[in-house]
Amino acid sequence: MNIRICIVLLLLPLCTAFAADLTGKWSGTFRATGADHDIPQLFILQQDGAGLHGSGGPDQSEQYPIENAVINGDKVTFELTTGEWRFSYRLRVSGGEMSGDLDLKSENNARKAKVSLKRVE
Amino acid sequence: MVFEPELDRALHPRLAYVRPGPDVHSLAELGSTVSQRFNSEPVVAYFLASEPDLAWQVALPSGIVYVNQHTGEILGERSRGQTFLGFVHEVHVRLGGGEFGKDILRWSTLATLVSLATGLYLWWPAKRVRVRRNGSGRSLWVDLHNTIGIIALAPLALIVGTGVLLGFENELAPAVERIIASRPSAVTRFRQASAQMSAPAITPDQAVAIARRVMPDAVPYRLQMPKYGGSYRVALLDPRRSIAADHNVVVLDSSGNVLSKIQSSDLSEGDRLFAANEEIHTGSIWGLPTRVAACFTSLAAVVQVSSGWLMWLYRKKLISAPPSSPERT
Repeated sequence: MNIRICIVLLLLPLCTAFAADLTGKWSGTFRATGADHDIPQLFILQQDGAGLHGSGGPDQSEQYPIENAVINGDKVTFELTTGEWRFSYRLRVSGGEMSGDLDLKSENNARKAKVSLKRVE
Repeated sequence: MVFEPELDRALHPRLAYVRPGPDVHSLAELGSTVSQRFNSEPVVAYFLASEPDLAWQVALPSGIVYVNQHTGEILGERSRGQTFLGFVHEVHVRLGGGEFGKDILRWSTLATLVSLATGLYLWWPAKRVRVRRNGSGRSLWVDLHNTIGIIALAPLALIVGTGVLLGFENELAPAVERIIASRPSAVTRFRQASAQMSAPAITPDQAVAIARRVMPDAVPYRLQMPKYGGSYRVALLDPRRSIAADHNVVVLDSSGNVLSKIQSSDLSEGDRLFAANEEIHTGSIWGLPTRVAACFTSLAAVVQVSSGWLMWLYRKKLISAPPSSPERT
């Protein structure tokens, strides 16, 4: 009995890790440290097993391809470039929400931000 | 910071400057050359320089590539990240310390405004505007503080006042917009964007040409390539405008249909006021003359802070005046 419980407890995190399918639309905001206002975010993601593809940007009409996406359990990292800025996301998935940190780098500046996204579709 | 672009170019002269030539390569050619050199990385955006002797830039995910638009030569790549100029900028707006640094800075800017007013009050009885030739020690700093303070008072008040408005923009914006009855900024929409993942049907050069036809008086300075959202975004500079001259954007779908345009003339009164405030603060509002004025005003601020501090040290006898220096205030 104890062995069964142990196996279940060991497998439980793995189940939740693989259960989270990120496919869909995610909407939210980020705010850079010391910034005045939130910046809108919309991601359109497609999960293909351990692979993640799709795009992100401020809205539906301005989307940039995500690159170097890695899903590791409930953690997901990816990057995108808008021209001046390179965005590196380090997010944690929890149910219908993703939140975490964002590093922004331009030609002369580097900033940090907090991101919060919710599944909308 | 007033001359940040020029300083940045001075720090990277081999990347920034080119010899002007009779021909200019197309964006498609430049993009293709850059992409081939950098492991087929996709071009994210093009930055077109305003002067023929400044290099154009091609943005890739890995960094910004500088190209000679006249010869097609790749001049080099800069990676993204904090530089010395970026650090100076960060110190100026946030003391390099995020939210806390920003709070210190904006409240001390407000205190500086009070300091300017009290300085005028203290100056008023004697109305001293001279630096004595034989002055030394405390009297020299008192003379400098009085003279530079009164000469630079108006521009200093302007720069500090606009700085206060910038620092408290979030808190003040709703009240300002109510007072001036500001309407929202207008965006002219022509058609609905549709997400397209296929290759664009027009070249980047054609996208720029279409944007120029939409805004004939403006000069394109940035082109965002379409991807997923399916739209080219061409940012243009309107040289006829002194406020928010770079707030012009034409959005095209990948077939060249104009989806929308935003013009600086369509900005709300509130947005225009805050844009003007920022341009007064940085001195960019009327070009080089106001930038030079802002630079000298900033130097005057440094002299005022230093001389005020030295006067205080003399008063507290933390440093002593030379024997020949008479104590006059």
